[in-house]
Amino acid sequence: MAHNVSAVSQNEEVTSTRRVIAASSVGTLIEWYDFYIFGSLAKIISEQFFPKDNPTAALLATLATFAAGFVVRPFGALFFGRLGDIIGRKYTFLVTLIIMGGSTFVIGLVPGYAQIGFVAPAIVFVLRLLQGLALGGEYGGAATYVAEHSPADKRGFWTSFIQTTATFGLFISLGVILIVRQSLGLEKFNDWGWRVPFLLSIFLVAISVYIRMKMSESPLFAKLKKEGKTSSNPLAESFQKKDNLKMVLIALLGATAGQGVVWYTGQFYALSFLQNACNIEFVQSNIIISVALIIGTPFFVIFGALSDKIGRKWIMMAGMLVAVVAYRPIYTVMYDMGSVKKKIEVKDKTVVEHKAELKGADSLKTTITKKTFEDGTTYKEVKKEKFPVDPVKKAELVAAKKLKPDVKKETTLPQDIFYKMIGLVLIQVIFVTMVYGPIAAFLVELFPTRIRYTSMSLPYHIGNGVFGGLVPLISTRLVEATRLTPDTPPTDPLAGLWYPIIIAAVCFVIGSLYITNRPTDVDVE
Amino acid sequence: MSVIKKLFGIVWAAMGLGIIPLVVMRAMQEIGAKPTEENWIFWSIVIVVLMPIISFSLITFGVFALKGEYDSID
Repeated sequence: MAHNVSAVSQNEEVTSTRRVIAASSVGTLIEWYDFYIFGSLAKIISEQFFPKDNPTAALLATLATFAAGFVVRPFGALFFGRLGDIIGRKYTFLVTLIIMGGSTFVIGLVPGYAQIGFVAPAIVFVLRLLQGLALGGEYGGAATYVAEHSPADKRGFWTSFIQTTATFGLFISLGVILIVRQSLGLEKFNDWGWRVPFLLSIFLVAISVYIRMKMSESPLFAKLKKEGKTSSNPLAESFQKKDNLKMVLIALLGATAGQGVVWYTGQFYALSFLQNACNIEFVQSNIIISVALIIGTPFFVIFGALSDKIGRKWIMMAGMLVAVVAYRPIYTVMYDMGSVKKKIEVKDKTVVEHKAELKGADSLKTTITKKTFEDGTTYKEVKKEKFPVDPVKKAELVAAKKLKPDVKKETTLPQDIFYKMIGLVLIQVIFVTMVYGPIAAFLVELFPTRIRYTSMSLPYHIGNGVFGGLVPLISTRLVEATRLTPDTPPTDPLAGLWYPIIIAAVCFVIGSLYITNRPTDVDVE
Repeated sequence: MSVIKKLFGIVWAAMGLGIIPLVVMRAMQEIGAKPTEENWIFWSIVIVVLMPIISFSLITFGVFALKGEYDSID
């Protein structure tokens, strides 16, 4: 009889833990989805909301907005972390979900720059900041909530489900964008279809809010609250007390900063590199990343579970070290396989088409070049030159160097190279899972319950948001710096990797020297 | 081990301090040579956001390490 009661109670416990993980993970997944559709649609958003005269400025403006989304995350971590440590985990990460979903939905409704001028980018900017704030409060809440429900010997395993959500969120965002784009066609998608992924968010959020409303508060926090032991000022306790501040610094410099750059390089930078440095066609490049992400995702759970057995530290450190050592060789192979520069062209298969048409007072000359290479790669270049029909005006623009052709390059890889490319991105995703899988459990164990939400959220969002979030901006800049003149291609297309390599290397040394491999009990105050 | 941790503390603090003039000088050079909107945006983000975080955290961490605050962690 006693045996039956114990089995029933054990079953109930497992069901309850699964419910906790599901409720937390689904919400966090949706928040990441909301956050990443903006990044994944950066080019279109740039065209829709920022002045079109200077495409680079427009793209940079978007990246800056993107970065603002990341930079503001630490503030969200402080604001909502404080709330979470005072009023509780459950209500705080419910609020963050509603803010995130609402902001994403409204981005899908904002009229473009062409309709309402500068008000459009201003509104988008504010909404992006709100997204960043909400995300800053979400992750720490979800990780803490799950960790405080988990048994000590399974904390890495259970919290690793939260860790899968960021990658799944990115995967779903890419998937939804691809499906909508393929269903509507490129023209409709660029015109209005890009709004659909934003608008869809409201349904996902509604479901998640419903699920979370039904959950109870974290048992450790509830106990603390009942005993009147919650912190009245978690910010001061977290960052003004030396004992806690020194752990915040270890978390940032020895773990989350390196984790952030490895995360962004393995996923976002890889996509940007395929599209911009190798000119791989949009759909193919997104499929490469998506397949690698979906194959790699279970490794978050594998490394999370492994960290329960052998400790968190060395798995994370190994992930950083292999990333530092392997990034340049991996990207060299990716570049050699993806770029057509070193490939041998099959000359008799080259097709060049010319088209000229009048567009008002301008003449539009379009040259389409299609090339095939010996390894089966195909390449298409569409060059559009627009110039005034009036020869005097044309001469003036030529003299002022204002006649720049619009060139779009698209490389389509043959099947064998396509699979190899997935393999190379997958290796990077594995590095990501090594550093990211155990990190929630690691962070939770560093800080006491009364200030855990605040203390773990800040280093996570500075590491992941600021150090990681700036990878696209800084890496693009490093590559641009290798151009000898503005019109020549970069001499080192891999220069962008130096930023993540240096940050991960410093983080590896600090983590190896100063982090302990021994887990601590989250119940201990 | 604690001696190594303390010695490295000097390295982290020195790195945190050294980054400030390096970044500021580089920013002034680049903006001076090409005062475009792109340059201003990029260097503003680096100087206002990234650099203070790196410098402050490295210096504080280095000082803590030098004082032996992390010696008990094994």
